[in-house]
Amino acid sequence: MIELRDIYVRFGDFEALHGINVEVKEGEFFTFLGPSGCGKTTTLRTITGFIEPAAGNVFVNGHDITRVPIEKRNIGIVFQSYALFPSMTVYNNIAFGLKIQKLPHKEIDRKVKDIARKVDLSDEQLAKAVSQLSGGQQQRVAIARALVTDPAIICMDEPLSNLDAKLRVQLRNELKAMQKQFGITTIYVTHDQEEALTLSDRIAVFNKGYIEQIGTPNEIYNYSKTEFVCNFIGDINPLSGPLAEKLQLGSDKKHFIRLERLRVNRPDENSQMCLDGVIESVEYYGLYLKYYIDVDGCRLKAVEKNDGISIYEPGQRVKVSMHPRDIMSYPVSQEA
Amino acid sequence: MTGYKIGEEDSYGIKLSKTLVKVFCVAFFVVLFLCFMVIPCINTIAKVFTADESDPMAVIKFFLAGNMPKYVFNSLKLAVLLTITVNVVGISIVLLTEYFDIKGAKILRLGYMTTLIYSGVALVTGYLFLYDNDGMLTAWLSKLFPGMNKQWFSGFWAVLFTMTFACTSNHALFLRNGIRSIDYNTVEAARNLGARPFKVLFRVVFPTLLPTLFSLTVMTFITGLCAMSAPTLLGYDSINPEIVRLAGSSVADEAFPQARAALLSVILAMFTILLLTVLSSYERKGHYLSVSKTKAKLQKQKITNPVANVLAHIYAYVLFVIYMTPVVMIVLFAFQNYPAIRSKALDLKGWTFINFFGSQDFEYMTNRGKLKLREGAISGLFSNADTVGGIRLSFILSAIAAALACVIVVVVVNYIFKNKGKKRSVALEYCMLLPWLLPTVLICYSYRIFYNSSTWFSIGLGGNTLLNADFNLYYRENVRFLIVMAYTVVKLPFALRMIKAAFYAIDEELEDAARNLGAGPLVTFLRVKLPIVLPSVLAVFALNFNSLFTEYDMSATFHSSYGKSYAMVIQNMCFEEGREGYNVNATGRRCASTVFIMVVSGLILYLVYGVGARDLGDRLALREKRRKRLQKLTGVFRRKAAQAEEEA
Repeated sequence: MIELRDIYVRFGDFEALHGINVEVKEGEFFTFLGPSGCGKTTTLRTITGFIEPAAGNVFVNGHDITRVPIEKRNIGIVFQSYALFPSMTVYNNIAFGLKIQKLPHKEIDRKVKDIARKVDLSDEQLAKAVSQLSGGQQQRVAIARALVTDPAIICMDEPLSNLDAKLRVQLRNELKAMQKQFGITTIYVTHDQEEALTLSDRIAVFNKGYIEQIGTPNEIYNYSKTEFVCNFIGDINPLSGPLAEKLQLGSDKKHFIRLERLRVNRPDENSQMCLDGVIESVEYYGLYLKYYIDVDGCRLKAVEKNDGISIYEPGQRVKVSMHPRDIMSYPVSQEA
Repeated sequence: MTGYKIGEEDSYGIKLSKTLVKVFCVAFFVVLFLCFMVIPCINTIAKVFTADESDPMAVIKFFLAGNMPKYVFNSLKLAVLLTITVNVVGISIVLLTEYFDIKGAKILRLGYMTTLIYSGVALVTGYLFLYDNDGMLTAWLSKLFPGMNKQWFSGFWAVLFTMTFACTSNHALFLRNGIRSIDYNTVEAARNLGARPFKVLFRVVFPTLLPTLFSLTVMTFITGLCAMSAPTLLGYDSINPEIVRLAGSSVADEAFPQARAALLSVILAMFTILLLTVLSSYERKGHYLSVSKTKAKLQKQKITNPVANVLAHIYAYVLFVIYMTPVVMIVLFAFQNYPAIRSKALDLKGWTFINFFGSQDFEYMTNRGKLKLREGAISGLFSNADTVGGIRLSFILSAIAAALACVIVVVVVNYIFKNKGKKRSVALEYCMLLPWLLPTVLICYSYRIFYNSSTWFSIGLGGNTLLNADFNLYYRENVRFLIVMAYTVVKLPFALRMIKAAFYAIDEELEDAARNLGAGPLVTFLRVKLPIVLPSVLAVFALNFNSLFTEYDMSATFHSSYGKSYAMVIQNMCFEEGREGYNVNATGRRCASTVFIMVVSGLILYLVYGVGARDLGDRLALREKRRKRLQKLTGVFRRKAAQAEEEA
């Protein structure tokens, strides 16, 4: 469907993208994930045509669209700020692209009302100004406006970043449902790992203008290919110094283990590695507990389900066990 | 699902028209910049050194040897003292209405803000109505002190007094906003740490207001330096009135009049440039920024000391009386008949609209004791041909200039934003800001002398004249074109600052969104960007129109029978009324004029800050509210009609 081939983008002397290669399949929900300034939005803007690459090509269904003007690419965009035109009503915002295409008035009306129904916007809301809508409703207008022109692809640039945490979770679910309903190829940009993991079919993790790994959420989380991906997705414990010696881990590599893979006072026959520690402090999160455990002067973090029974107090001695297969190891030369 | 669409190249016709538009725009801005900003001003400077062919320094020597430095000194004296008095009164009115708990603060605020709708020449004539030799207060005082000098309200102190109260509008707007944006938690924190109320005021509140106060002080200084209407009407020898006087003088009357006027305007420009440089370098240092994420609203401070509290209340109401008395008196007398106005005594039976509409015959006794009648000599504001002519001319010229300034600036700002960071856009912006550095009188005076010749522009090559503008722009009706250009050029910096700020508020993603939805640059500008900035553009238009409508300084410089603006008509109304039926009822028309100006200004401020501040959401909500109200009303009528039908 979409293919980015050796994309290089330069802003003056600064090279923002260093040879990006991605393939997105039809109907896929594909996420560009990474910290600020890693090149994810630049890549998205290269696809949408706002940035022209210094080298490389963008293909859609095998056609090279690298030099095709923005308005002729047939890509819908949902912007970070939604970019709804404040001087127009909701109806006129959605109809804007159709009016530019000079479609007959009746067809515009039909299409606007049709898409509004699909994204759950009432006729009353269509007559309102965008400033009169809530954040969630504004997001729906932005999606409707992007979809109404029947684009081949839809790109979303951190559309949930301006919302509060509760609404973000709610809209995340709505977004996923809508994408499934329309079956449209979606490229989503975010720096929020949780958002990426819950929404995406596949994720590309960006770092300093490179792609570190492309994979499904499971592959990215459980089989992080690089130390950066391992560090960026979820929380980890570095196993170094005395801990590495005690666990007899090779010094030619860096070793990490995720918090939920440590077992506190729960050894089983598969847990071949075991350490003695003392609870330093406990953080209570409701669903689970986070323990800070001192093991020979090194601190380990572990999370345990809150069953209401096995709750350990600071100062209490505990056994921390883990399975060798859960340890992720990367060459020392790799940059974190 | 549709695929992508390959773009089409623009047709030859479109390309050609785009090129023509670009060429026209470049030519327009080059002409505007060179012919109406740079060349006339350079010509003025050159005049200083070319007046005497034998000695380039002759004018400067003459200037230093004669009494000319007096005008500079007088202007500086006025400017310095004005910064003190305006700051004292300006800070007082803001503290009394916003910071301290003074009873009746809302009414007081209204009184202090009257200068927003009542300023310039209207305000000066209003003060004259009270304080001049046959003014109300003078008449009352001379009854108390028969030997007093009736000309007491003239000269330096009268100018200082009038301008002090005329120039607090900026304090009422900007300092008020500054004090309102203070985080009250900082005041509470200081009190909690043991600071007494006045300590809090001086150590916590004032430091945050210093940048605003500094800007206001510099602007007040420039206003004092460039004062025109008050010194002219109240008789004070400062730079601007002298420039206008010299501009109308000839070599037959005195030495180097034009060159001396040029030198004075150049001196004024130097002071202005120096002050604005100081101001911008200070502004560049940065401001105190509130780090508060949850600002608490400022709460009014009670003055706990009872004596101080009483004194503060007295001071507040004395200021209120000073602000309000001329306004109230002028409004009342605008509706009084001629005898009441002439005797400056309110006649409760003498209410009339004659000062606004219609005319009356005037009967007077000649020196020989004969009664004579002059038909229609008492005429209202909108019935007097001279006044109506002034209003019409000012209305048309101000509207054209205000609209032209807005159109120019919208095009410029759009270009600047499209070419952000590029040298040519920075250069264009500086060109548009240039008039800010030049005193108004320098621009107008420069136009007056540069275009006051039959051949003011010619390009010659090898003895042949290729391009030659051979018409005098300061001749007859042509002067109106010069006035429009001067009005426009002078208003460009303000329009640029305001409209640029409005463009900054446009989310850049909106333009991307429009382009993504298929809109070209022109459609994006017309349908997305322009509707967003339109309220600000209209506000700038309205504010510029408002200030130009009764503008005095430029009108005085260009004054001629073909360029007699409203301000000049008002000035003429201040001349003594002829006993034999000449200029009869000028004072009545003057009062009516002030009321008319207040209504126009008030209406414009309401349209700008009331109606114009509403966004689409507010407008739709208001429309919905009106619809429901109408529905309710028609429902009541329908029910009543149905009831009546049933009863029948």
